[in-house]
Amino acid sequence: MTTGRSLRIGEALLGGGLFALGALIAVETMLTPSAGRGVVGPALFPYLISAGLMLVALSLLREAFAGHIAHDGGLELDLRAVMLVAAGLVAQFLLIEYLGWIPAAALLFVAVARAFGNRRFFVNAAFGLVLSGATFVVFNYGLDLNLPIGTVGEWFLPAE
Amino acid sequence: MDTLAALGHGFLVALTPYNLLWSAIGVTVGTAVGVLPGIGPALTVALLLPVTYHLEPTSAFIMFAGIYYGAMYGGSTTSILLNAPGESGSIVTAIDGHAMARQGRGAQALATAAIGSFIAGTIATAALTFVAPLMVKMALLFGPAEYFALMVLALTTVTAVLGDSLARGLGSLFLGLALGLVGIDMQTGQARLAFGVPELLDGIDTVVVAVGLFAVGETLYVASRFRFEREEVYALKGSKWMSREDWSRSWKPWLRGTLLGFPIGALPAGGSEIPTFLSYLVEKRLAKKPEEFGHGAIEAVAGPEAANNASAAGVLAPLLSLGLPTSATAAIMLAAFQQYGLQPGPTLFDSTPELVWGMIASLYVGNVLLLLLNLPLVGMWVKLLVIPRPWLYAGILVFSTLGAYTLNNNVIDLVILWVIGLVGFGMRVLNVPVAPCVVGLILGPLAEQQFRRALAISQGDATVFITHPISAALLAVAVLLVVGPLVMRRRNRAAASDPAGKTSTV
Repeated sequence: MTTGRSLRIGEALLGGGLFALGALIAVETMLTPSAGRGVVGPALFPYLISAGLMLVALSLLREAFAGHIAHDGGLELDLRAVMLVAAGLVAQFLLIEYLGWIPAAALLFVAVARAFGNRRFFVNAAFGLVLSGATFVVFNYGLDLNLPIGTVGEWFLPAE
Repeated sequence: MDTLAALGHGFLVALTPYNLLWSAIGVTVGTAVGVLPGIGPALTVALLLPVTYHLEPTSAFIMFAGIYYGAMYGGSTTSILLNAPGESGSIVTAIDGHAMARQGRGAQALATAAIGSFIAGTIATAALTFVAPLMVKMALLFGPAEYFALMVLALTTVTAVLGDSLARGLGSLFLGLALGLVGIDMQTGQARLAFGVPELLDGIDTVVVAVGLFAVGETLYVASRFRFEREEVYALKGSKWMSREDWSRSWKPWLRGTLLGFPIGALPAGGSEIPTFLSYLVEKRLAKKPEEFGHGAIEAVAGPEAANNASAAGVLAPLLSLGLPTSATAAIMLAAFQQYGLQPGPTLFDSTPELVWGMIASLYVGNVLLLLLNLPLVGMWVKLLVIPRPWLYAGILVFSTLGAYTLNNNVIDLVILWVIGLVGFGMRVLNVPVAPCVVGLILGPLAEQQFRRALAISQGDATVFITHPISAALLAVAVLLVVGPLVMRRRNRAAASDPAGKTSTV
């Protein structure tokens, strides 16, 4: 359950985040030794954008504390489901090079399906494996793209 | 007459069996993916980019054109039967289209949308055929200063027209501009904001950002709301055919929608939101029974859907002739062009006429294919809506990561996808529009290039932007678009807080 008040906090976080991003760009640009001081060097746009970011961020912060925000009455959010999907994606990018595309994608599939309330793990795992296997075959052999077989997978397929 | 000869040549390219096949695949896949809820044309094109890596550019763009038009068709199906507009252009369709579906008139709503889209798409494609070469002639008069001003105008309009808060729109835009800074500076070769990560030197891919915001962010949002919202698919029942009355109430809105959609789509203001809303308002004003609006008036589906498809053709005019994307979908198509080493703009018509004209001709072909595909087979597309949501979104994420990974075959893109996805979720919750971010990412670096080129030519004299009349006029319009709403809002607020004045709703 998210109330209007926590949405205001969210809006403030957005403003704060954008402000921090603007500051980061400004600092990083200052620290980068500039190559070739032409009429307009590579530093001008970063400075402009960082200034723009900070101005917009201030305006967002003002809106968060004083103005009208989206979903004034609050918005219900199931944050566990969000974390589950996010965790599935993290697992996938951590595992994809080791386990290969097929198990990593199947794992993501199961995680997302669970987040959407489907508890039939084995059915989902089977379905996920079929989908990731099919995409692997189509993309690797049909379209000549390289999806990783994974270091583990390479043990099983020595002579490919 | 040159144009007709070029178009004829384009048809020769588009009608070869090989390219016809890709057009058919494009419209079919585009419709299928467009029907799936939550996926609009921008995401459809981005998700399907990897499929085309090994195609000839001409065939690839013929397929993209099919996907683009197909996804616009498919989007209306979701709006009408599920009340879930996949993109902003379908929001208006959902109002009365879904009301018709609840009354058991879903088939008629889909039919008027499909036929209207066909008519609008064909007329607007014809307009594109003749307008694009004119725009090329105009583009040849443009120098870097004018291009910069035009891009500023496009950036501000995409931002200002979307959403109800200018600050949120600008926040999204500047986020996109900031992401566009990452990588090697095109003029000096200096690395910017790469933080020592070699994979970042090439910059952040538009496709990763688009898929992250539209697919990952959207999936996270839908997951977070899934327990609280029940959706209902309204089955098609009753007569599938439009009655004589339906026809007579539809044909004028189709034509008026086309008239609104194409020119507005072609303007740097761009997009499909304004023409669809305008078309709705116009039809309501002209209708014999305006009280039916909001409760299932067929005019309110026919007009906006026609406007939506006409604007799709309109958007292609500045994209092809100026290299200027005015919507998120166009921004991704531009990224697709860049992946083939092609830069849309006036020279594209000279350097690769078979690609440009083949693509334009394929739009006519695609429209016919879509009508054939949609009128008889709509029942089949509707079946896609009953895919269980857990599997649907799981599948969407598998394909999103597939697309992101295969771009450069590295895990960093998946990490970026994850970060952008979380940001996209936050934006969705806070009602921040995502399209300005995508357009900012792609237009920012181009605008910077033109800006620096203009200053190099003028030897550092920054007044070039206001002494060149076209550039000055474009910049003035851009300023008005940002300042105008601010002034209006302030005036409204003053009126609202003034007890003696009329009360006004914000």
